[in-house]
Amino acid sequence: MSNTVMKIENLQAKIGDKEILKGLNLELEAGKVHAIMGPNGAGKSTLSKALVGHYDIEVLGGDIIYKGKSIIDMDAEQRALEGIFLSFQHPVEIPGVNNAYFLRTALNAKRKHEGKEELNAAEFLRLMREHLEMLGMKSDMISRSLNEGFSGGEKKRNEILQMLILEPEVIILDEIDSGLDIDALRAVSEGINKMKDGKRTFLVITHYSRILDYIEPDYIHVLKGGRIIKTSGAELVAQLEEHGYDALEEE
Amino acid sequence: MKLLELKNKNSQEVKALLNIKDRDNLVERFCSIGMPNKKSEEYRYFDIEKLLDKEYKTLDYIPKTPKISDKIEIVDGVVVASPKGMRIYNEACNNIDLNHFDPLYYLGHLLSTQTIKIELDGDVEVEIEHRFTKSDTLINYRIVLYNQTNRHATVYENFISQNIENTLVLYGYDMHLAQDSTLRVVKMHSMKDNSYSMIASHKVNVAKNANAILKSFDVGGANALQLLKVELAQYAHVDAGHLLYLNKDSKRGTISQIVHVGEHSTSKQEAKNILDGKSRGIFDALIHVEQSAKYAKAEQNSKAILLHEDAYMVAKPKLEIYIDELEASHGATTGQLDKKQLFYLQSRGISLIDAKKMLVIAFANTLIEQVKDTRQQERIKASFEEVFYRAYN
Repeated sequence: MSNTVMKIENLQAKIGDKEILKGLNLELEAGKVHAIMGPNGAGKSTLSKALVGHYDIEVLGGDIIYKGKSIIDMDAEQRALEGIFLSFQHPVEIPGVNNAYFLRTALNAKRKHEGKEELNAAEFLRLMREHLEMLGMKSDMISRSLNEGFSGGEKKRNEILQMLILEPEVIILDEIDSGLDIDALRAVSEGINKMKDGKRTFLVITHYSRILDYIEPDYIHVLKGGRIIKTSGAELVAQLEEHGYDALEEE
Repeated sequence: MKLLELKNKNSQEVKALLNIKDRDNLVERFCSIGMPNKKSEEYRYFDIEKLLDKEYKTLDYIPKTPKISDKIEIVDGVVVASPKGMRIYNEACNNIDLNHFDPLYYLGHLLSTQTIKIELDGDVEVEIEHRFTKSDTLINYRIVLYNQTNRHATVYENFISQNIENTLVLYGYDMHLAQDSTLRVVKMHSMKDNSYSMIASHKVNVAKNANAILKSFDVGGANALQLLKVELAQYAHVDAGHLLYLNKDSKRGTISQIVHVGEHSTSKQEAKNILDGKSRGIFDALIHVEQSAKYAKAEQNSKAILLHEDAYMVAKPKLEIYIDELEASHGATTGQLDKKQLFYLQSRGISLIDAKKMLVIAFANTLIEQVKDTRQQERIKASFEEVFYRAYN
């Protein structure tokens, strides 16, 4: 790949006693949408966790090269500050942490890291309001506790709101479509497509092809048994729909 | 005066030591419970004997004519200022609970021949500021508080100390909530150093259909204990919330008894404890439902977060129930900050230390935000954050 933003080399990782990623290789091309598809238990969510430095994951070998340097020993906050963002499949609820305060703290941490001036409350609210409307989010959601009492759809929209505000470079969407009705799926997809500017890279992790109708992928990677067994263009989706994962042989 | 000299003394000896001629009932009750010691159930985790074994100066109680102020100011147990028109008297307390569990409730009364009686008129909102100015001193006073039927009064309590050391404050309320009334008491007690220790022993009588809302916010590194007995008549309700943030080697907490006497009485008690350093938090709380309290509802919960491996939480929620027709639940958890929540914040670029601070403040905020008045809410938040950030940075 000519313009690689992230390269995962022979990644082996386990959760508890179970080895899940068994020598996974993957290159992400800058500005492209990569979809990872695979059966249950293939290691899709483990991969997303490994990329952001989740505490559950123990890396046994291999490396993750991001913009030319290894991030394998970086902690989660450093990876985030460097521009890697994971939209969680099940965002955690944090009672007592105000959503707007949390987001402003996160944004200002990133701006500080980039040597930019921090935004004050008024500037931040202006920025927030623009995105809220586009995502069809009620304005009171920013004054509520982070994800507390949010419906499944609201939580996913809130993840996308964070993505829009933080403007990361590599965006990992873990099962972003799970639990979304058609309107929420459309709003979330619109938010994602707004970020597709040819510079940002997306890694869309999904069970089903439904989300790929809204976010057109450039590459499809099939993850099975802890390894990427096939990489192809968007046409692979139809093939998978018809024949399933079992029909695929490792390339 | 050394209070430990009252240990194992009979009523005649106690009266002689305290120079009391009457009040036989109180003296008898005090002697029957005995001075608290390290084996007393209520004081087991508090090192009470160390405090009682010190020699303290005592103060002569000389009432003053209060000047006009926007709050009630009590300096070393004497009211020096109060809002215009507020009814405050110095008089003997004639309504003392003879079944209180705390011996220091009785000692407080025996040492205070005069109490500060405050009558809350109408839907009043008043601030009481307690100020302590004397070192090596036993500061003892009691407050008797009345409100009016069908009225909703609020009391905000604050505490200030001025460069003092080795002082012991014994104070407490006897609150009498009138029928169909609401009394909201919000206590903010920030102890920034070890200048004084405090034992606050209260009794709250909640009349029929009345509603007591008692919120205490105790933060900082010193030793203090609040002992609370609440008695609920028919359809009476108490909502008690206690926030505790401790650091260094402080020992603080709440010992309480909520007694359901009347039918359909309800209680809710929630304690949130954040413990750092080598501190010890105490939540020893009994809900007692008498046979007369059919259809009572009682809920009690304590949550503690330990920020340091040497911090220690004593959580003893207890139910004592003599009837079948009721709903009751209680529980206690002690743990560390939630890993999932910490990771979520870190995954957005927030540093581990800032993420921890955010979660601690969030944990506290769930109680602080129950204070209705936003100005007071901000004051409590600011006091808590000041102590927390100073200790945590």
